Amino acid sequence: MEIDSLILMGFIRALIERQFMQFALITGILVGLLAPVIGSFVVIKRLSLIADTLSHFSLAGLSIGLFLLNILRLPIGDPLYVGMTFAVIGALLIEALRSYYKNYKEISMPIVISLGTALSALFISLAGGFNTEIYNYLFGSILTVGRNFVFIMAVTTFVILLLIAIFYKRIVIISFDERYARLLGIRVGVFQFFSTIILGLVVSLSIETVGVLLVGSLMIIPVAAAMKIGNSFKTTLLIAILFSEVSVILGLWLSYSFGFPSGATIVLFNILILLMVIIIKKIFSSPHAEEKVAMEAEVRTE
Amino acid sequence: MRVEVRNLSFSYDYRPVLRNVSLNLENGDFLVVVGNNGSGKSTLVKCILGINRVPEKKIFLDGMEINEFRRRLRIGYVPQKLDDFNYEFPITVNEIMHVSRYSRMRDEDKLALFDRMGILELQNENINTLSGGQLQRVFIARAMVNNPDLLILDEPTAGIDAESEAKFYRIVNDLNDEGVTVILISHNLKPGRSNFNRIMRLTDGRARTIAASEYFERGVD
Repeated sequence: MEIDSLILMGFIRALIERQFMQFALITGILVGLLAPVIGSFVVIKRLSLIADTLSHFSLAGLSIGLFLLNILRLPIGDPLYVGMTFAVIGALLIEALRSYYKNYKEISMPIVISLGTALSALFISLAGGFNTEIYNYLFGSILTVGRNFVFIMAVTTFVILLLIAIFYKRIVIISFDERYARLLGIRVGVFQFFSTIILGLVVSLSIETVGVLLVGSLMIIPVAAAMKIGNSFKTTLLIAILFSEVSVILGLWLSYSFGFPSGATIVLFNILILLMVIIIKKIFSSPHAEEKVAMEAEVRTE
Repeated sequence: MRVEVRNLSFSYDYRPVLRNVSLNLENGDFLVVVGNNGSGKSTLVKCILGINRVPEKKIFLDGMEINEFRRRLRIGYVPQKLDDFNYEFPITVNEIMHVSRYSRMRDEDKLALFDRMGILELQNENINTLSGGQLQRVFIARAMVNNPDLLILDEPTAGIDAESEAKFYRIVNDLNDEGVTVILISHNLKPGRSNFNRIMRLTDGRARTIAASEYFERGVD
Protein backbone atom coordinates (compact mmCIF):
# COMPACT_ATOMS: atom_id res chain seq x y z
CA MET A 1 0.00 0.00 0.00
CA GLU A 2 2.83 2.29 1.02
CA ILE A 3 4.78 1.42 -2.10
CA ASP A 4 1.68 2.07 -4.21
CA SER A 5 1.21 5.51 -2.76
CA LEU A 6 4.92 6.25 -3.21
CA ILE A 7 4.64 5.30 -6.87
CA LEU A 8 1.57 7.49 -7.27
CA MET A 9 3.30 10.39 -5.50
CA GLY A 10 6.33 9.94 -7.75
CA PHE A 11 4.06 10.07 -10.81
CA ILE A 12 2.30 13.23 -9.60
CA ARG A 13 5.60 14.88 -8.71
CA ALA A 14 6.95 14.02 -12.16
CA LEU A 15 3.85 15.58 -13.70
CA ILE A 16 4.47 18.79 -11.78
CA GLU A 17 8.25 18.96 -12.20
CA ARG A 18 9.11 17.33 -15.51
CA GLN A 19 8.20 19.02 -18.74
CA PHE A 20 8.29 15.79 -20.79
CA MET A 21 5.65 14.34 -18.47
CA GLN A 22 3.43 17.39 -18.95
CA PHE A 23 3.78 17.06 -22.72
CA ALA A 24 2.97 13.36 -22.48
CA LEU A 25 -0.10 14.01 -20.35
CA ILE A 26 -1.45 16.77 -22.62
CA THR A 27 -0.87 14.64 -25.73
CA GLY A 28 -2.48 11.65 -24.06
CA ILE A 29 -5.55 13.61 -23.02
CA LEU A 30 -5.96 15.12 -26.51
CA VAL A 31 -5.60 11.75 -28.25
CA GLY A 32 -7.82 10.18 -25.60
CA LEU A 33 -10.51 12.70 -26.55
CA LEU A 34 -10.14 12.70 -30.32
CA ALA A 35 -9.64 8.96 -30.96
CA PRO A 36 -12.97 7.70 -29.55
CA VAL A 37 -14.92 10.60 -31.10
CA ILE A 38 -13.61 9.74 -34.57
CA GLY A 39 -13.75 6.04 -33.66
CA SER A 40 -17.50 6.24 -32.97
CA PHE A 41 -18.26 7.32 -36.54
CA VAL A 42 -15.87 4.65 -37.85
CA VAL A 43 -17.63 1.95 -35.79
CA ILE A 44 -21.12 3.06 -36.89
CA LYS A 45 -20.05 2.84 -40.52
CA ARG A 46 -18.65 -0.66 -39.84
CA LEU A 47 -15.17 0.40 -40.91
CA SER A 48 -13.38 -0.69 -37.73
CA LEU A 49 -10.35 -1.99 -39.62
CA ILE A 50 -9.75 1.31 -41.42
CA ALA A 51 -7.65 2.76 -38.57
CA ASP A 52 -5.25 -0.18 -38.62
CA THR A 53 -5.05 -0.03 -42.40
CA LEU A 54 -4.19 3.66 -42.34
CA SER A 55 -1.66 3.29 -39.54
CA HIS A 56 0.20 0.64 -41.57
CA PHE A 57 0.15 2.92 -44.58
CA SER A 58 1.32 5.81 -42.44
CA LEU A 59 4.26 3.65 -41.30
CA ALA A 60 5.31 3.44 -44.95
CA GLY A 61 5.44 7.25 -44.98
CA LEU A 62 7.39 7.35 -41.71
CA SER A 63 9.98 4.87 -43.01
CA ILE A 64 10.29 6.73 -46.32
CA GLY A 65 10.75 9.89 -44.23
CA LEU A 66 13.52 8.21 -42.22
CA PHE A 67 15.16 7.04 -45.45
CA LEU A 68 15.07 10.55 -46.97
CA LEU A 69 16.35 12.10 -43.75
CA ASN A 70 19.01 9.62 -42.61
CA ILE A 71 20.31 8.16 -45.87
CA LEU A 72 19.71 10.79 -48.55
CA ARG A 73 20.22 13.60 -45.98
CA LEU A 74 17.31 15.58 -47.39
CA PRO A 75 16.12 18.36 -45.06
CA ILE A 76 12.50 17.14 -44.82
CA GLY A 77 12.08 18.03 -41.15
CA ASP A 78 10.19 15.47 -39.07
CA PRO A 79 9.33 12.13 -40.78
CA LEU A 80 5.96 12.61 -39.06
CA TYR A 81 4.90 14.94 -41.89
CA VAL A 82 5.62 12.25 -44.49
CA GLY A 83 3.69 9.82 -42.28
CA MET A 84 0.71 12.18 -42.13
CA THR A 85 0.78 12.67 -45.90
CA PHE A 86 0.83 8.91 -46.42
CA ALA A 87 -2.08 8.36 -44.02
CA VAL A 88 -4.14 10.79 -46.10
CA ILE A 89 -3.02 9.15 -49.38
CA GLY A 90 -3.90 5.74 -47.89
CA ALA A 91 -7.34 7.03 -46.91
CA LEU A 92 -8.01 8.31 -50.43
CA LEU A 93 -6.76 5.01 -51.86
CA ILE A 94 -9.24 3.10 -49.67
CA GLU A 95 -12.08 5.35 -50.83
CA ALA A 96 -11.08 4.82 -54.48
CA LEU A 97 -10.90 1.02 -54.06
CA ARG A 98 -14.20 0.98 -52.15
CA SER A 99 -15.96 2.66 -55.04
CA TYR A 100 -14.18 0.38 -57.56
CA TYR A 101 -15.25 -2.84 -55.75
CA LYS A 102 -18.77 -1.68 -54.87
CA ASN A 103 -20.02 -5.05 -53.65
CA TYR A 104 -16.79 -6.16 -51.97
CA LYS A 105 -15.79 -2.94 -50.27
CA GLU A 106 -13.73 -4.62 -47.52
CA ILE A 107 -11.26 -5.81 -50.19
CA SER A 108 -9.77 -2.31 -50.08
CA MET A 109 -8.38 -2.82 -46.56
CA PRO A 110 -6.05 -5.82 -47.13
CA ILE A 111 -4.82 -4.26 -50.39
CA VAL A 112 -3.84 -0.99 -48.71
CA ILE A 113 -2.43 -2.77 -45.61
CA SER A 114 -0.28 -5.00 -47.84
CA LEU A 115 1.02 -2.06 -49.84
CA GLY A 116 1.77 -0.10 -46.63
CA THR A 117 3.53 -3.02 -44.94
CA ALA A 118 5.57 -3.88 -48.04
CA LEU A 119 6.72 -0.28 -48.51
CA SER A 120 7.52 -0.05 -44.78
CA ALA A 121 9.66 -3.20 -44.84
CA LEU A 122 11.45 -1.98 -47.95
CA PHE A 123 12.26 1.50 -46.66
CA ILE A 124 13.05 0.40 -43.10
CA SER A 125 15.68 -1.83 -44.64
CA LEU A 126 16.93 0.94 -46.97
CA ALA A 127 17.04 3.38 -44.05
CA GLY A 128 19.49 1.17 -42.19
CA GLY A 129 17.32 -1.49 -40.60
CA PHE A 130 15.45 -1.76 -37.33
CA ASN A 131 16.29 0.90 -34.72
CA THR A 132 14.77 2.77 -31.78
CA GLU A 133 12.88 5.19 -34.01
CA ILE A 134 11.16 2.32 -35.81
CA TYR A 135 10.43 0.62 -32.48
CA ASN A 136 8.81 3.84 -31.25
CA TYR A 137 6.71 4.11 -34.41
CA LEU A 138 5.52 0.53 -33.96
CA PHE A 139 4.70 0.66 -30.25
CA GLY A 140 4.39 4.36 -29.42
CA SER A 141 6.53 6.70 -27.37
CA ILE A 142 4.26 9.17 -25.64
CA LEU A 143 6.98 9.97 -23.06
CA THR A 144 9.24 11.40 -25.76
CA VAL A 145 6.88 13.83 -27.54
CA GLY A 146 8.16 17.39 -27.89
CA ARG A 147 6.64 20.86 -27.66
CA ASN A 148 6.16 20.99 -31.43
CA PHE A 149 4.09 17.81 -31.49
CA VAL A 150 1.93 18.94 -28.57
CA PHE A 151 1.19 22.14 -30.48
CA ILE A 152 0.24 20.27 -33.70
CA MET A 153 -1.92 17.89 -31.68
CA ALA A 154 -3.71 20.72 -29.85
CA VAL A 155 -4.46 22.63 -33.05
CA THR A 156 -5.64 19.49 -34.86
CA THR A 157 -7.90 18.48 -31.97
CA PHE A 158 -9.42 21.96 -31.78
CA VAL A 159 -10.06 22.22 -35.53
CA ILE A 160 -11.53 18.71 -35.83
CA LEU A 161 -13.83 19.10 -32.82
CA LEU A 162 -14.97 22.48 -34.15
CA LEU A 163 -15.79 20.94 -37.56
CA ILE A 164 -17.70 18.11 -35.89
CA ALA A 165 -19.68 20.61 -33.80
CA ILE A 166 -20.55 22.71 -36.88
CA PHE A 167 -21.56 19.76 -39.09
CA TYR A 168 -22.78 17.49 -36.28
CA LYS A 169 -26.24 16.76 -37.72
CA ARG A 170 -24.96 15.99 -41.20
CA ILE A 171 -22.10 13.80 -39.97
CA VAL A 172 -24.41 11.77 -37.72
CA ILE A 173 -27.08 11.20 -40.38
CA ILE A 174 -24.45 10.24 -42.98
CA SER A 175 -22.93 7.73 -40.54
CA PHE A 176 -26.23 6.13 -39.57
CA ASP A 177 -28.05 6.25 -42.90
CA GLU A 178 -26.04 7.34 -45.91
CA ARG A 179 -28.84 6.88 -48.42
CA TYR A 180 -31.25 8.99 -46.37
CA ALA A 181 -28.63 11.72 -46.07
CA ARG A 182 -28.42 11.79 -49.88
CA LEU A 183 -32.19 12.08 -50.09
CA LEU A 184 -32.11 15.07 -47.77
CA GLY A 185 -29.83 16.73 -50.34
CA ILE A 186 -26.66 16.45 -48.20
CA ARG A 187 -23.51 16.29 -50.32
CA VAL A 188 -22.38 12.96 -48.92
CA GLY A 189 -19.37 12.64 -51.26
CA VAL A 190 -17.86 15.93 -50.09
CA PHE A 191 -18.32 14.99 -46.43
CA GLN A 192 -16.84 11.56 -47.02
CA PHE A 193 -13.79 13.04 -48.73
CA PHE A 194 -13.03 15.39 -45.83
CA SER A 195 -13.78 12.85 -43.11
CA THR A 196 -11.40 10.42 -44.81
CA ILE A 197 -8.64 13.04 -44.75
CA ILE A 198 -9.39 13.83 -41.09
CA LEU A 199 -9.28 10.13 -40.24
CA GLY A 200 -5.86 9.85 -41.89
CA LEU A 201 -4.54 12.81 -39.89
CA VAL A 202 -5.85 11.52 -36.56
CA VAL A 203 -4.42 8.06 -37.19
CA SER A 204 -0.97 9.38 -38.04
CA LEU A 205 -0.92 11.69 -35.01
CA SER A 206 -2.07 8.86 -32.72
CA ILE A 207 0.91 6.77 -33.82
CA GLU A 208 3.15 8.85 -31.49
CA THR A 209 1.00 7.79 -28.53
CA VAL A 210 0.39 4.08 -28.97
CA GLY A 211 2.23 3.19 -32.16
CA VAL A 212 1.20 1.80 -35.53
CA LEU A 213 0.20 -1.60 -34.19
CA LEU A 214 -2.17 -0.24 -31.56
CA VAL A 215 -3.74 2.88 -33.09
CA GLY A 216 -6.88 1.00 -34.12
CA SER A 217 -7.50 -0.18 -30.58
CA LEU A 218 -7.36 3.40 -29.24
CA MET A 219 -10.16 4.38 -31.61
CA ILE A 220 -12.30 1.26 -31.43
CA ILE A 221 -12.09 -0.39 -27.98
CA PRO A 222 -13.48 2.47 -25.82
CA VAL A 223 -16.34 2.76 -28.32
CA ALA A 224 -16.93 -1.01 -28.29
CA ALA A 225 -17.27 -0.86 -24.49
CA ALA A 226 -19.39 2.32 -24.44
CA MET A 227 -21.91 1.10 -27.02
CA LYS A 228 -22.87 -1.75 -24.69
CA ILE A 229 -23.76 0.72 -21.91
CA GLY A 230 -24.94 3.92 -23.59
CA ASN A 231 -28.61 4.50 -24.24
CA SER A 232 -28.26 7.45 -26.57
CA PHE A 233 -25.67 8.57 -29.11
CA LYS A 234 -24.43 11.41 -26.93
CA THR A 235 -24.08 9.37 -23.72
CA THR A 236 -22.30 6.62 -25.66
CA LEU A 237 -19.84 9.18 -27.00
CA LEU A 238 -19.24 10.63 -23.53
CA ILE A 239 -18.75 7.19 -21.96
CA ALA A 240 -16.27 6.27 -24.72
CA ILE A 241 -14.29 9.46 -24.02
CA LEU A 242 -14.35 8.73 -20.27
CA PHE A 243 -13.06 5.15 -20.77
CA SER A 244 -10.42 6.38 -23.17
CA GLU A 245 -9.14 9.13 -20.84
CA VAL A 246 -9.06 6.80 -17.82
CA SER A 247 -7.01 4.32 -19.86
CA VAL A 248 -4.62 7.02 -21.06
CA ILE A 249 -3.96 8.39 -17.56
CA LEU A 250 -3.62 4.98 -15.88
CA GLY A 251 -1.49 3.74 -18.78
CA LEU A 252 0.77 6.75 -18.56
CA TRP A 253 1.16 6.25 -14.82
CA LEU A 254 2.18 2.58 -15.14
CA SER A 255 4.36 3.35 -18.11
CA TYR A 256 6.26 6.04 -16.20
CA SER A 257 6.45 4.15 -12.91
CA PHE A 258 7.60 0.77 -14.22
CA GLY A 259 9.14 1.63 -17.57
CA PHE A 260 6.47 -0.33 -19.51
CA PRO A 261 5.81 0.65 -23.14
CA SER A 262 3.17 3.41 -22.99
CA GLY A 263 1.10 2.22 -25.97
CA ALA A 264 0.81 -1.29 -24.58
CA THR A 265 -0.27 -0.18 -21.10
CA ILE A 266 -2.87 2.28 -22.47
CA VAL A 267 -4.37 -0.34 -24.77
CA LEU A 268 -4.34 -3.03 -22.06
CA PHE A 269 -6.30 -0.70 -19.76
CA ASN A 270 -8.80 -0.16 -22.58
CA ILE A 271 -9.16 -3.94 -22.97
CA LEU A 272 -9.52 -4.32 -19.19
CA ILE A 273 -12.40 -1.82 -19.16
CA LEU A 274 -14.04 -3.61 -22.10
CA LEU A 275 -13.78 -6.95 -20.27
CA MET A 276 -15.25 -5.42 -17.10
CA VAL A 277 -18.16 -3.98 -19.11
CA ILE A 278 -18.87 -7.34 -20.75
CA ILE A 279 -18.70 -9.22 -17.42
CA ILE A 280 -20.82 -6.69 -15.52
CA LYS A 281 -23.40 -6.67 -18.33
CA LYS A 282 -23.54 -10.49 -18.16
CA ILE A 283 -24.00 -10.48 -14.38
CA PHE A 284 -26.68 -7.81 -14.31
CA SER A 285 -28.73 -8.97 -17.27
CA SER A 286 -30.55 -12.27 -16.90
CA PRO A 287 -30.52 -14.68 -19.85
CA HIS A 288 -34.05 -13.61 -20.74
CA ALA A 289 -33.40 -9.88 -20.52
CA GLU A 290 -33.46 -9.36 -24.27
CA GLU A 291 -36.75 -11.20 -24.65
CA LYS A 292 -38.12 -9.07 -21.81
CA VAL A 293 -37.09 -5.86 -23.56
CA ALA A 294 -38.76 -7.07 -26.75
CA MET A 295 -41.95 -7.97 -24.88
CA GLU A 296 -42.09 -4.60 -23.15
CA ALA A 297 -41.68 -2.96 -26.53
CA GLU A 298 -44.63 -4.98 -27.84
CA VAL A 299 -46.75 -3.97 -24.86
CA ARG A 300 -45.99 -0.32 -25.56
CA THR A 301 -47.29 -0.82 -29.10
CA GLU A 302 -50.69 -1.96 -27.86
CA MET B 1 -46.85 17.93 -54.78
CA ARG B 2 -47.54 17.20 -58.44
CA VAL B 3 -45.58 14.32 -59.94
CA GLU B 4 -45.30 13.74 -63.68
CA VAL B 5 -43.43 10.89 -65.35
CA ARG B 6 -43.25 11.00 -69.16
CA ASN B 7 -42.49 7.78 -71.07
CA LEU B 8 -39.70 6.81 -68.71
CA SER B 9 -37.53 3.83 -69.65
CA PHE B 10 -34.74 2.77 -67.32
CA SER B 11 -32.10 0.03 -67.51
CA TYR B 12 -29.51 -1.39 -65.12
CA ASP B 13 -26.43 -2.35 -67.18
CA TYR B 14 -28.48 -2.69 -70.40
CA ARG B 15 -31.14 -4.77 -68.61
CA PRO B 16 -34.38 -2.85 -69.12
CA VAL B 17 -36.36 -2.48 -65.89
CA LEU B 18 -38.89 0.23 -66.77
CA ARG B 19 -40.41 0.53 -70.25
CA ASN B 20 -42.27 3.69 -71.24
CA VAL B 21 -43.81 4.34 -67.86
CA SER B 22 -46.02 7.42 -67.60
CA LEU B 23 -47.71 8.85 -64.57
CA ASN B 24 -49.52 12.01 -63.60
CA LEU B 25 -50.29 12.80 -59.97
CA GLU B 26 -52.03 15.93 -58.71
CA ASN B 27 -51.70 17.44 -55.21
CA GLY B 28 -53.27 15.10 -52.67
CA ASP B 29 -53.41 12.03 -54.92
CA PHE B 30 -52.79 8.65 -53.31
CA LEU B 31 -51.19 6.19 -55.72
CA VAL B 32 -50.56 2.54 -54.96
CA VAL B 33 -48.01 0.79 -57.16
CA VAL B 34 -48.51 -2.97 -57.25
CA GLY B 35 -46.62 -5.71 -59.04
CA ASN B 36 -44.56 -8.85 -58.47
CA ASN B 37 -40.98 -8.86 -57.25
CA GLY B 38 -38.69 -7.57 -59.99
CA SER B 39 -41.49 -5.76 -61.82
CA GLY B 40 -39.72 -2.42 -61.41
CA LYS B 41 -41.63 -0.90 -58.44
CA SER B 42 -38.61 0.07 -56.36
CA THR B 43 -36.73 1.23 -59.47
CA LEU B 44 -39.55 3.65 -60.28
CA VAL B 45 -39.40 5.02 -56.73
CA LYS B 46 -35.62 5.40 -56.92
CA CYS B 47 -36.04 7.38 -60.14
CA ILE B 48 -38.58 9.72 -58.55
CA LEU B 49 -36.36 10.13 -55.46
CA GLY B 50 -33.37 11.02 -57.63
CA ILE B 51 -31.34 7.98 -56.45
CA ASN B 52 -31.37 6.64 -60.01
CA ARG B 53 -30.30 9.29 -62.46
CA VAL B 54 -32.79 9.60 -65.32
CA PRO B 55 -32.49 11.31 -68.74
CA GLU B 56 -33.68 14.90 -69.00
CA LYS B 57 -37.35 15.80 -69.28
CA LYS B 58 -38.65 12.45 -68.07
CA ILE B 59 -39.71 13.31 -64.52
CA PHE B 60 -41.17 16.61 -63.28
CA LEU B 61 -41.88 17.49 -59.65
CA ASP B 62 -44.28 20.43 -59.30
CA GLY B 63 -43.46 21.22 -62.93
CA MET B 64 -39.71 21.32 -62.35
CA GLU B 65 -37.37 18.93 -64.20
CA ILE B 66 -36.06 16.41 -61.61
CA ASN B 67 -32.35 16.95 -62.33
CA GLU B 68 -32.86 20.61 -61.44
CA PHE B 69 -35.11 19.95 -58.47
CA ARG B 70 -33.19 21.06 -55.36
CA ARG B 71 -35.88 21.16 -52.69
CA ARG B 72 -35.31 17.59 -51.55
CA LEU B 73 -36.76 18.23 -48.08
CA ARG B 74 -40.21 18.41 -49.68
CA ILE B 75 -40.07 14.65 -50.28
CA GLY B 76 -40.46 12.26 -47.36
CA TYR B 77 -39.36 8.66 -47.85
CA VAL B 78 -39.87 5.52 -45.79
CA PRO B 79 -37.59 2.83 -47.22
CA GLN B 80 -38.28 -0.88 -47.57
CA LYS B 81 -37.38 -2.89 -44.43
CA LEU B 82 -35.30 0.04 -43.10
CA ASP B 83 -32.13 -2.01 -43.53
CA ASP B 84 -30.06 0.93 -44.74
CA PHE B 85 -30.00 2.17 -41.16
CA ASN B 86 -27.12 1.12 -38.85
CA TYR B 87 -29.08 -0.19 -35.88
CA GLU B 88 -26.78 -1.57 -33.28
CA PHE B 89 -25.12 1.67 -32.23
CA PRO B 90 -27.17 3.46 -29.55
CA ILE B 91 -29.23 6.42 -30.74
CA THR B 92 -32.56 7.67 -29.39
CA VAL B 93 -35.69 8.49 -31.37
CA ASN B 94 -35.23 12.15 -30.47
CA GLU B 95 -31.64 12.16 -31.71
CA ILE B 96 -32.69 10.62 -35.05
CA MET B 97 -35.30 13.35 -35.47
CA HIS B 98 -32.82 16.05 -34.51
CA VAL B 99 -30.23 15.04 -37.13
CA SER B 100 -32.91 14.52 -39.81
CA ARG B 101 -34.51 17.94 -39.37
CA TYR B 102 -33.29 20.69 -41.69
CA SER B 103 -36.34 22.89 -41.87
CA ARG B 104 -37.80 25.09 -39.17
CA MET B 105 -40.10 23.28 -36.79
CA ARG B 106 -41.09 24.49 -33.37
CA ASP B 107 -40.64 22.09 -30.47
CA GLU B 108 -44.36 21.92 -29.84
CA ASP B 109 -44.94 20.95 -33.49
CA LYS B 110 -42.33 18.23 -33.14
CA LEU B 111 -44.04 16.89 -30.03
CA ALA B 112 -47.40 17.03 -31.82
CA LEU B 113 -45.90 14.95 -34.65
CA PHE B 114 -44.52 12.41 -32.15
CA ASP B 115 -47.91 12.26 -30.45
CA ARG B 116 -49.69 11.68 -33.72
CA MET B 117 -47.32 8.88 -34.71
CA GLY B 118 -47.76 7.31 -31.26
CA ILE B 119 -44.08 7.67 -30.39
CA LEU B 120 -44.27 10.42 -27.78
CA GLU B 121 -43.37 8.02 -24.94
CA LEU B 122 -40.59 6.51 -27.03
CA GLN B 123 -38.71 9.72 -27.75
CA ASN B 124 -35.87 9.01 -25.31
CA GLU B 125 -35.69 5.29 -26.07
CA ASN B 126 -32.75 3.69 -27.81
CA ILE B 127 -34.08 2.49 -31.17
CA ASN B 128 -32.52 -0.94 -30.56
CA THR B 129 -35.24 -1.62 -28.04
CA LEU B 130 -38.21 -0.82 -30.32
CA SER B 131 -40.50 -3.35 -32.02
CA GLY B 132 -40.94 -3.50 -35.81
CA GLY B 133 -44.19 -1.54 -35.71
CA GLN B 134 -42.73 1.13 -33.45
CA LEU B 135 -39.68 1.47 -35.68
CA GLN B 136 -41.90 1.84 -38.72
CA ARG B 137 -43.74 4.74 -37.05
CA VAL B 138 -40.43 6.35 -36.05
CA PHE B 139 -39.36 6.26 -39.69
CA ILE B 140 -42.62 7.79 -40.93
CA ALA B 141 -42.15 10.51 -38.33
CA ARG B 142 -38.62 11.00 -39.69
CA ALA B 143 -40.03 11.25 -43.21
CA MET B 144 -42.53 13.87 -41.97
CA VAL B 145 -40.14 15.93 -39.84
CA ASN B 146 -39.38 18.39 -42.66
CA ASN B 147 -43.07 18.84 -43.52
CA PRO B 148 -42.90 17.24 -46.99
CA ASP B 149 -45.72 17.38 -49.51
CA LEU B 150 -44.82 14.11 -51.21
CA LEU B 151 -44.56 10.93 -49.13
CA ILE B 152 -43.08 7.80 -50.73
CA LEU B 153 -43.46 4.50 -48.89
CA ASP B 154 -41.68 1.39 -50.20
CA GLU B 155 -43.32 -1.83 -48.88
CA PRO B 156 -43.69 -0.16 -45.51
CA THR B 157 -45.69 -2.86 -43.73
CA ALA B 158 -43.54 -5.87 -44.60
CA GLY B 159 -42.83 -7.85 -41.44
CA ILE B 160 -44.97 -5.89 -38.97
CA ASP B 161 -48.04 -7.23 -37.13
CA ALA B 162 -51.62 -6.61 -38.27
CA GLU B 163 -52.42 -4.07 -35.58
CA SER B 164 -49.33 -1.96 -36.25
CA GLU B 165 -50.17 -2.16 -39.94
CA ALA B 166 -53.68 -0.81 -39.34
CA LYS B 167 -52.28 1.99 -37.19
CA PHE B 168 -49.75 2.76 -39.90
CA TYR B 169 -52.44 3.11 -42.59
CA ARG B 170 -54.56 5.37 -40.36
CA ILE B 171 -51.60 7.75 -40.04
CA VAL B 172 -50.86 7.72 -43.79
CA ASN B 173 -54.55 8.24 -44.66
CA ASP B 174 -54.71 11.23 -42.30
CA LEU B 175 -51.62 12.78 -43.87
CA ASN B 176 -53.12 12.26 -47.32
CA ASP B 177 -56.40 13.89 -46.21
CA GLU B 178 -54.36 16.97 -45.34
CA GLY B 179 -53.11 17.23 -48.92
CA VAL B 180 -49.86 15.25 -48.86
CA THR B 181 -49.39 13.33 -52.13
CA VAL B 182 -48.67 9.67 -51.33
CA ILE B 183 -46.98 6.97 -53.42
CA LEU B 184 -47.24 3.57 -51.75
CA ILE B 185 -45.42 0.51 -53.09
CA SER B 186 -47.00 -2.77 -52.18
CA HIS B 187 -46.98 -6.31 -53.47
CA ASN B 188 -49.99 -7.49 -51.53
CA LEU B 189 -52.45 -4.68 -51.10
CA LYS B 190 -55.40 -5.53 -48.87
CA PRO B 191 -58.78 -3.87 -49.40
CA GLY B 192 -60.09 -1.22 -47.05
CA ARG B 193 -56.77 -0.20 -45.56
CA SER B 194 -55.53 2.84 -47.41
CA ASN B 195 -57.67 5.55 -49.01
CA PHE B 196 -55.87 5.43 -52.35
CA ASN B 197 -57.53 6.80 -55.47
CA ARG B 198 -55.14 5.42 -58.08
CA ILE B 199 -53.54 2.05 -58.68
CA MET B 200 -50.69 1.39 -61.08
CA ARG B 201 -49.78 -2.16 -61.90
CA LEU B 202 -46.24 -2.84 -63.12
CA THR B 203 -45.61 -6.00 -65.15
CA ASP B 204 -42.06 -6.49 -66.45
CA GLY B 205 -41.47 -2.75 -66.33
CA ARG B 206 -44.68 -1.85 -68.20
CA ALA B 207 -47.25 0.21 -66.35
CA ARG B 208 -51.00 0.02 -66.54
CA THR B 209 -53.37 2.13 -64.48
CA ILE B 210 -56.32 0.13 -63.21
CA ALA B 211 -59.38 0.69 -61.10
CA ALA B 212 -59.31 -0.46 -57.50
CA SER B 213 -62.29 -2.77 -58.02
CA GLU B 214 -60.55 -4.52 -60.90
CA TYR B 215 -57.47 -5.03 -58.77
CA PHE B 216 -59.34 -6.62 -55.89
CA GLU B 217 -61.35 -8.88 -58.22
CA ARG B 218 -58.46 -10.19 -60.24
CA GLY B 219 -55.36 -9.75 -58.06
CA VAL B 220 -51.94 -8.64 -59.19
CA ASP B 221 -51.78 -10.59 -62.43
